[in-house]
Amino acid sequence: MSASFSDQLVAVLPRLRRFARGLTGSAVEADDLVQAACERALSRTHQFQPGTRFDSWMFRIVQTVWIDLLRARGTRKVESEDVAINIGSDESVRRVEARLALREVQAVVATLPTEQRVALLLVTVEGLSYKEAAEIAGVPVGTIMSRLARARGAVAAKLETAKLETGSAFRGSTEDAETE
Amino acid sequence: MQRPSDEILIAYLDGELVDGERRAVMQALAADGALRAHAERLNDGARLIRAAYDGVLRESVPERLIAAARGEAGIKVFARLIARLARWRVLLGERPWWIGVPVAASLVGLVVGGGFGYMAASQQSADLVAQQAALNANFGSSSWLDNIAAYHKLFVNAGPNDRQLMDVPADDSGNAIRKAAQLPADFRLPNLKPWGLDFQGARILVVEGQPATQLFYTTDNKSLGPLTLVVGSSNKPDLAPTFDHRADLNMLYWRHHGHAYAIVGSADIGYLWNIANDIAWQLDAI
Repeated sequence: MSASFSDQLVAVLPRLRRFARGLTGSAVEADDLVQAACERALSRTHQFQPGTRFDSWMFRIVQTVWIDLLRARGTRKVESEDVAINIGSDESVRRVEARLALREVQAVVATLPTEQRVALLLVTVEGLSYKEAAEIAGVPVGTIMSRLARARGAVAAKLETAKLETGSAFRGSTEDAETE
Repeated sequence: MQRPSDEILIAYLDGELVDGERRAVMQALAADGALRAHAERLNDGARLIRAAYDGVLRESVPERLIAAARGEAGIKVFARLIARLARWRVLLGERPWWIGVPVAASLVGLVVGGGFGYMAASQQSADLVAQQAALNANFGSSSWLDNIAAYHKLFVNAGPNDRQLMDVPADDSGNAIRKAAQLPADFRLPNLKPWGLDFQGARILVVEGQPATQLFYTTDNKSLGPLTLVVGSSNKPDLAPTFDHRADLNMLYWRHHGHAYAIVGSADIGYLWNIANDIAWQLDAI
């Protein structure tokens, strides 16, 4: 293993953790996933093509390992233990702090089907282009567009419902989070 | 005009449409208030989603993941953690956490000049520190990173106005730093203003037996935060930029053409990586 390969891998770890957190909905499970992805990447360094984006290659590995794990468990949908918050419940009505509101956003994302969640995380959170996201997911760009539209629509609708029930907590939470 | 689908509207918001499609959506938005409100809701949702996960980037990366990325075995990581914990417990007791830093440094051949007092250590603690030094040597890590991190914390806690921490003031052009740290005549302070970082002063250290200087920068950019840069001489071979971290601090260190460098800060490692590239480019003449 070359030092530069390892250095690139270390440098991309924070973003891999963020992507994995979004996929799994759990901090512990996300780190397990990233660790497994690192091990797989190190065993397949020869498959990385110099001149291509290293982060995209790693996102693909994380996604592949995650799908493998889901298949091994015999399920396509895993509920998050960290963010299992019932949007719109009496409890959430009382919850007005920005940090908690953002956790509720994570809870909404966790309810999406895996394919939509992957598209949402790669494009909206990681800022990849549709083409890059399509290559990682192994689907046409048009499929990414439709998955993204369904995901964004579902999130917007659920957050709108929650906002109506909790007042303006969500709008304030974005501003708070961005100034943290 | 036909109302664009959500797919097209979101692609427009994401900047993914070609000119003709973009103009069509802009015309539709201009003519349809309900569509504008819908687009705003989608945009708000996207902003919230990004904000919901941004906190992960500010967390320190667990040791086991760094080790996994470097291909180190889990047992080594565990041993390093245990040794580090034991070392701090025995050395520091109830004292402030940074008091024991020079002890560890002296035992691995690093002497740091400055305001810290030397603390006598027991045989037991010396054994533990020696054990840690051996572990550090094995893992390519070193206690000089601990010291740099400790001074960075001290600087951040004291604030840039505490001039007692600085051996060289911020208004020096680099001459005093160059002389004190025995750096080459063409040494110039790295200009990090494009990153929003302002030079606040420097301390003179000895790293790996060689004079070095620790430069402090501050910024109003909360996502970047204060930054420390260490520049010194080194007789060790060149080393590619290497990532490490101490508690909530990220660090990058490298050696190039007889000089050792390290940057420390709480910023995301990607940020540090880019700044390190800039510094390496600016200091390449050294």
